Amino acid sequence: MRVYLPCLFVLLCGISLLVGARQMSGYQLITLSDDAWLTLTASRLPRLITVSLTGVGLSICGVILQHIVRNKFVEPATSGGLDAAKLGILVSLTLMPTAGAGSRMLAALLFCFAANVVFITIVRRIKFTNTVLIPVIGLMYGGMLSALAEFYAYRHNILQSMQGWLLGDFSKIVQGHYEIIYLILPVIVLTYLYAHRFTVLGMGEDIATSLGMNYLVTSTLGLMLVAITVSVTVIAVGAIPFVGLVIPNLVALYYGDNLTRTLPAVALSGASLLLACDIVGRLLLYPFEVPIGLTTACVGGILFMVLIVGRTQR
Amino acid sequence: MTVKTRHTVWVAVVALALAFVFVRSGFDFEYVIPKRLERLATMVIGGICVAWSAITFQSLTGNRILTPAIMGYEAVYLLFQALLMLMLGTRSLMLLGEHGNAALSILLMLGYSWTLHRWLFRDDRDNVYFLLLVGLVLTMVITTFTQFVQLKMNPGEFSILMGYSQATFGNASATQLLYATLIVATICLAGLKSLPMLDVLLLGREQAISLGVDYRRCVQRQLLLIAALVAVSTSLLGPTAFMGIFVANTAYALAGTYRHQVTLPVGCAIAIALFILAQLLVEHLFNYKTTVGILVNLVCGAYFLSLMVRTRGTA
Repeated sequence: MRVYLPCLFVLLCGISLLVGARQMSGYQLITLSDDAWLTLTASRLPRLITVSLTGVGLSICGVILQHIVRNKFVEPATSGGLDAAKLGILVSLTLMPTAGAGSRMLAALLFCFAANVVFITIVRRIKFTNTVLIPVIGLMYGGMLSALAEFYAYRHNILQSMQGWLLGDFSKIVQGHYEIIYLILPVIVLTYLYAHRFTVLGMGEDIATSLGMNYLVTSTLGLMLVAITVSVTVIAVGAIPFVGLVIPNLVALYYGDNLTRTLPAVALSGASLLLACDIVGRLLLYPFEVPIGLTTACVGGILFMVLIVGRTQR
Repeated sequence: MTVKTRHTVWVAVVALALAFVFVRSGFDFEYVIPKRLERLATMVIGGICVAWSAITFQSLTGNRILTPAIMGYEAVYLLFQALLMLMLGTRSLMLLGEHGNAALSILLMLGYSWTLHRWLFRDDRDNVYFLLLVGLVLTMVITTFTQFVQLKMNPGEFSILMGYSQATFGNASATQLLYATLIVATICLAGLKSLPMLDVLLLGREQAISLGVDYRRCVQRQLLLIAALVAVSTSLLGPTAFMGIFVANTAYALAGTYRHQVTLPVGCAIAIALFILAQLLVEHLFNYKTTVGILVNLVCGAYFLSLMVRTRGTA
């Protein structure tokens, strides 16, 4: 991992910079052609940054949620967080149509955080006989939030455009329209700083408390970080399923659960997966694009399937 | 359960049905009442499908908070309708005719469940939870595809698609209803014989096997029946995601027993009553500002949530 993963990531970054509707060769870059530089700074670089940050953010989100809930199948899409963010955006759009992305993001964040807290409270109260049931409950909980959103959207006749936000798509990302994604950076830093605490969190409330940790504060912080990441990504690019589910599981399979050690691997592989999916999506119908939500759902779905089939066979 | 409560449920259903047919109808036997009777029949068939499939599914999984919707049947249906609308546009309505669409969707859902079961039960893995997890992942993938397709269509086509993706009772024609009744009656007659078997399955997999039930075969057969019921109800009224949980749990509560001979009829009655109530509300209170599907989802979703919060037991 020490060598392969960073190399893969750098390679994918390079490809991502060079692939796109407008041809751009290395030669043009070296000769500092204005045209090539414009493409690079206005579209390619913002896109690269957005894709990588989203990948890192979502996979870290998955790890944190999985440690708090103590279940390997939980991620924003299977815990109602995504649907809550959607509902938040919807409410802010109809109540304050003139407000900017900031207030929409705030609404999404509040809803997402509240939904996560409710989900965790519910899950902690129930004794589960099978670990599969937690994501099932999460999915149904998300379905209920979606029904609420639909009830609301149907009355305001914006059902179709609502579907639009929820499909992850990087094609709108250009200079001036992506800067909100930088909010993920502090999340990443904080997660690194608190990585050992989240690891302890994953051992359960009793052990965590007896090791001298304030369980409530740490899990609230974790949920807050998740809510920020989810709402930022939903606002900037839309929903991208499976990244938070597949990457932490794959990494844990090889490197275990000690977050201080595995977090770089989680972050890098999350970014790499998303970059790879993005490149595939850009090349599939060249010069048109397939939204990243689709490619990730396919790749992630297959990976996850392989994962669970392997797990149940052992 | 006392026989009295059982009767009360059915009396309520009949009262609601009468209210639905006659309230503000002007006793117009030429048009209004026949139309309403048609819708009432749709509700009855749909209610039986929803209740029966949900209660059997919960017995198979040994869990009270699941519905067959988790397995992805409805997601497949929605994707099919969206694709149809995207590729053929409004022409698909003419091209497939009245029954083509319904028949195709039923076949598609049955095919989906058949492949799923074939693939999952191919070796000795008879774990229902594994099936559940796979169904869950497939639902997520298929839903993403549906979202993509929906984005690509024009608003007019989208609004027609909405008619398919929200539960409504006005879509079915009389002949379609007749076919649906025949299918459901056959399935229920076939299912009646295995009711005692289902009671045993409730004890759990190990107990059922040691009591002499051929677990694998029984589960596969019941899953097939469930798939058929869900296919019929979905093609008839559209997706009803949460409703099964609500219906099954209220049925257990009212029945006071888990014997299928009792819970299944009570569940059917509750489902039918809920449908009629929702339709009455949409028609007379909300004035079509919302749809039955959204209303049912909302109520049943809220119930599900309160169920989760209230019961501190096991799941």
